[in-house]
Amino acid sequence: MNTFLQLVLNGLGKGAVYALLALGFVVIFKATEVVNFAHGSLVLIGGYMVYATKDALGWPAAAALGIVSAALAALLIERLLIAHARNADVNSLALLTIGVDVIITEEIVRRLRADIPFIGDPYDAQPLQAAGLTVFRTQLVALIVGIVLITAFFLAFRFSSWGVAMRAQAENREAAALMGIRSSRVTATAWLLAGALAGVAVLFMATQDFSGAGLGRGTHAIALIAFPAAILGGLDSTVGAVVGGLIVGLTEALSAQYVSFEFSKSAVFLVMLLILVIRPSGLFGTRELSRV
Amino acid sequence: MIDRRRRLAALAGGLAAGLVLAACGSTADNASSGGGAGGVKTDKGVTDTTITLGVMTDRTGVFKNLGEALTGGNELWVKDVNAAGGICGRQLALEVVDHGYKADTAKTLYPQLEPKILGITQLVGSPVLAALKQNLIDDNVLTAPASWSSEILNNPNVMMIGTTYDLEIIDGLAYLQQQGLIADGDTIGHIYIDGEYGGNGLRGSKYYASKHNMTVQEAKITSTDNDLANIVTGLKGAGVKAIVLTTTPGQTASAMSNNAALGLNVPVLGNNPTFDPALLQSPAAASLDKLYVAASSAPFSSKTPKAVEVANEYKATYPDKPKNAGAQAGYVESLVWQAVLEKACQNGDLTRAGVQTALKSLTSVTTDDLVAPLDYSIPGAPPTRGVYIAKVDQNAEGGLTEVAPLFTAPDAQGYKAPHQQS
Amino acid sequence: MSEVTVTPPETEAPPTPAPRRPRNWLKIAGVTLFLVLLVLFPVFTGTDVAYLKAGQYVLIGVVGAVGLTMLVGQAGQLSLATPFFLLVGAVSYAVLAGDSGDSGDLVGLGLPPVVAAVGAVVICGLVGLAFAPVSGRLRGIYLGVASLSLVFLGLYLGQSLDMLSGGTSTGRPPPTFAIFDFRFANTEPAPTILGVAVQKQQRLWYLFLVLAIGAYLLARGAVRSRIGRAWRAVRDNEAAATAMGVHVTRVKAGAFTISSAYAGLAGVMTALWLDLVKPDENEFVGTYSITVAIGYLAMVIIGGLGSIPGAVAGAVLVNGLPQLLTLGATEFGWFADARFGGPSPVLISAFVYGVAVVLVVMFEPGGLAAIGRRLAHVRAARPTRGGDRG
Repeated sequence: MNTFLQLVLNGLGKGAVYALLALGFVVIFKATEVVNFAHGSLVLIGGYMVYATKDALGWPAAAALGIVSAALAALLIERLLIAHARNADVNSLALLTIGVDVIITEEIVRRLRADIPFIGDPYDAQPLQAAGLTVFRTQLVALIVGIVLITAFFLAFRFSSWGVAMRAQAENREAAALMGIRSSRVTATAWLLAGALAGVAVLFMATQDFSGAGLGRGTHAIALIAFPAAILGGLDSTVGAVVGGLIVGLTEALSAQYVSFEFSKSAVFLVMLLILVIRPSGLFGTRELSRV
Repeated sequence: MIDRRRRLAALAGGLAAGLVLAACGSTADNASSGGGAGGVKTDKGVTDTTITLGVMTDRTGVFKNLGEALTGGNELWVKDVNAAGGICGRQLALEVVDHGYKADTAKTLYPQLEPKILGITQLVGSPVLAALKQNLIDDNVLTAPASWSSEILNNPNVMMIGTTYDLEIIDGLAYLQQQGLIADGDTIGHIYIDGEYGGNGLRGSKYYASKHNMTVQEAKITSTDNDLANIVTGLKGAGVKAIVLTTTPGQTASAMSNNAALGLNVPVLGNNPTFDPALLQSPAAASLDKLYVAASSAPFSSKTPKAVEVANEYKATYPDKPKNAGAQAGYVESLVWQAVLEKACQNGDLTRAGVQTALKSLTSVTTDDLVAPLDYSIPGAPPTRGVYIAKVDQNAEGGLTEVAPLFTAPDAQGYKAPHQQS
Repeated sequence: MSEVTVTPPETEAPPTPAPRRPRNWLKIAGVTLFLVLLVLFPVFTGTDVAYLKAGQYVLIGVVGAVGLTMLVGQAGQLSLATPFFLLVGAVSYAVLAGDSGDSGDLVGLGLPPVVAAVGAVVICGLVGLAFAPVSGRLRGIYLGVASLSLVFLGLYLGQSLDMLSGGTSTGRPPPTFAIFDFRFANTEPAPTILGVAVQKQQRLWYLFLVLAIGAYLLARGAVRSRIGRAWRAVRDNEAAATAMGVHVTRVKAGAFTISSAYAGLAGVMTALWLDLVKPDENEFVGTYSITVAIGYLAMVIIGGLGSIPGAVAGAVLVNGLPQLLTLGATEFGWFADARFGGPSPVLISAFVYGVAVVLVVMFEPGGLAAIGRRLAHVRAARPTRGGDRG
């Protein structure tokens, strides 16, 4: 029983970070219908800035700088590349982000050289133990930060003028434009936000507690695991991102123990496949109607 | 409506490439057979003045730290040998290529390297070795792999330098039991990377368990799985008394960290590649004290005189290179080559076939105790069975202190390796 | 090289007949010269088979990319599953043609290699067909990520079913390819061409060349035929395609099947090229990894989605460049500082194809194929999208 509870704890803790990552995909997709394959490289940019500056600035300032850098990098990708590729459809833009991702990832990995820096200094590897169970402090902090950010996001989405504009744009781009909503601003804000979420997520990802590895190619790969989270929840559903993140975390933890560890990564994708076959737009995604 | 100009451009490009390639082709294959200086027979990789050995290493991939140190060790040996007048009246030279731990890259590099060398003194990466297996056999290239798996001993061109992974684990478990840390009938966990490396280690713990009525709780992982929390949770649930690792250093850190975090706190046994001194700078540093390392070659900080000498020379020559046991392992790889070359020279035959014959006649290669004496006369058998046991020590250079030098368990003596012929 | 020429005349303004004839002669001469050069490639490389290996690797890429561009570009289905079918193809070949191994714990049917190769391609097609419930229902990115799960599944199955795959430790050797009594191995004596012995690597080059050309011609035929039109109809508008009487699900499943069979052939070639069938140790780096999936996608984007000659060009760039840079690195001492964080062949290749992908999407969605066309026709007045797909 303890084993089971511990696994659920492990799964929920990781799920919170997957949810942050998945939310990044969803924000951009909702605003622009583009799937951002470069999310993993935004994660790396944020993490790299923390690593490069934390000795000089101290962790809190470096962390803030990392978040800002990831956000700005996302904004730059949108303004410099996506916004100028006017003839391309959304699928081509997704492919464009693959190109961006390859370049940024290789460059950051080159800059890291032999280092695989851990960047969760204030909370990493300081577990809390109680009643035979262990809570990893990193996951606990991630869960709290995740809840705060996601709540804030929901509120902003519902009540702020940006949120209204974005929902309008997601609903019907042309109509939104006609009603005076500036599409470019909504889009740019969405990328900025997604980048910031990636910058926050990496603070928990490149830790001993979460991934067991410092910043590197593996960190980038984790963002890929968050893909199923976004997809199975439904790419245009913020609730879906959160639920998807938790499903992925739990599937991973429980199948590792009760089926086999090497099956756990396939399990995540198989759960996603199963959900997609039943609901092609994910659990909470809007069904796409055929337009003639 | 086809574009003529594009095709013409392509053709021009193709022609140019063809000419370049033709030029390359004409320079290749300068090897000649026949008598050389001093009446010694030679074929590929040996001239009247030089013996060239190949190094296929990883300088840019996942094992770049190990590859750098091994190459450093190889280069030091070349320096030492050449300073002492060379071998067989010839200077030694290395031809180093970097495959970045990618089999496809290695497959392309190999035909370029092969005509220039007599044999290979370092080959990193089990996927690479597997991909090149048939080539090495076809071309009769004697190879010292940086892999210590007894699974590869069915390749007659593999020259194993030291104890294999399965024996490292058998010796290591015997040591833990001798220290009273585990007992007959216990359950032990084994986390291993699926592949030649981890699978060979698992063979060792299964063998030891079968001799001591133990149960092995297996957990298979891939080389990029770094978060072992769920596995250690499961091992704790199974009540293991010790954990065996055949993993990467990063995975070792995760296993150790979770061993402490989840309150399991059992001794952990790893073999040579599981530990890297860089772990002492990681967040897992505080939890590493339960780690024992059973390794076929001496740790970087070993007190064995030759190991100290190599370590000092290495630090002086390569202040920037990573400090790990690869330095001594690389040096010893080449030392064994030296024994083979000297024997082949005595026989008057420095051809590829000649070095093979020389190798098989060697029954006790000593390496100043960098590894135990090596016996190459039994096909398919590891050349030695002893290990150095070390424990993690924050203060030791290279992070390990020896607790038992050259330890050979009785169970290790009785173990029959998978391709052992007698 | 020339599917632009096939645009049905009724949809195009009839071209002025005068320049047509000389252009066709030039075209035939050009193609012939190009083929002669490919045939003579082993003569240029001589005994230095390293460049020949690099060339073979490019041809593997050509077969895979041509198959993928039909799926992604013509039928509009995004797939990242290419490495999975490479693996299935390689393993199937080894199982069908192989024996039970030294220790007798492998499954091997011992069929003639030609039968095994064809069988492997058919098996891959069938596996692709079995994916129809997913590939038929999903679209765009959803399908892309869903197909990625096959790569993970392949890794898991490759590791678990070691009686088929040989396991990640050692893998299993693929049987030497042979057509009747002609073996693709070194023999004494060997036939020669212009003084160069035609040994194993030369023979493999010719085998791969024939396979690649065959794959190219078949694909071109498919694209020009009814099948191709159905693919494009489904890609452009499923509802409209249904209205025109196209069976959308069947067409989608068919495209996935054909593309999978192509990837399967590339898998058989990979096994022969490496002399080894061995599942990867992890999903990110290796012969059947996600990196390879991205590489194949990059080939078809760079070449121009849907363009068969473009896919060839993409394969040359993505598979050829890292190999050439690696060979140059040792031959000419490039990248000596790679280990100190300097550029390495892998890094430069990744930059080149990363940048190429970005530039193509931004400025020339028709890819290299369209750029080539532009260079040829100064009058390139036709809109780029869909240009070479018709």
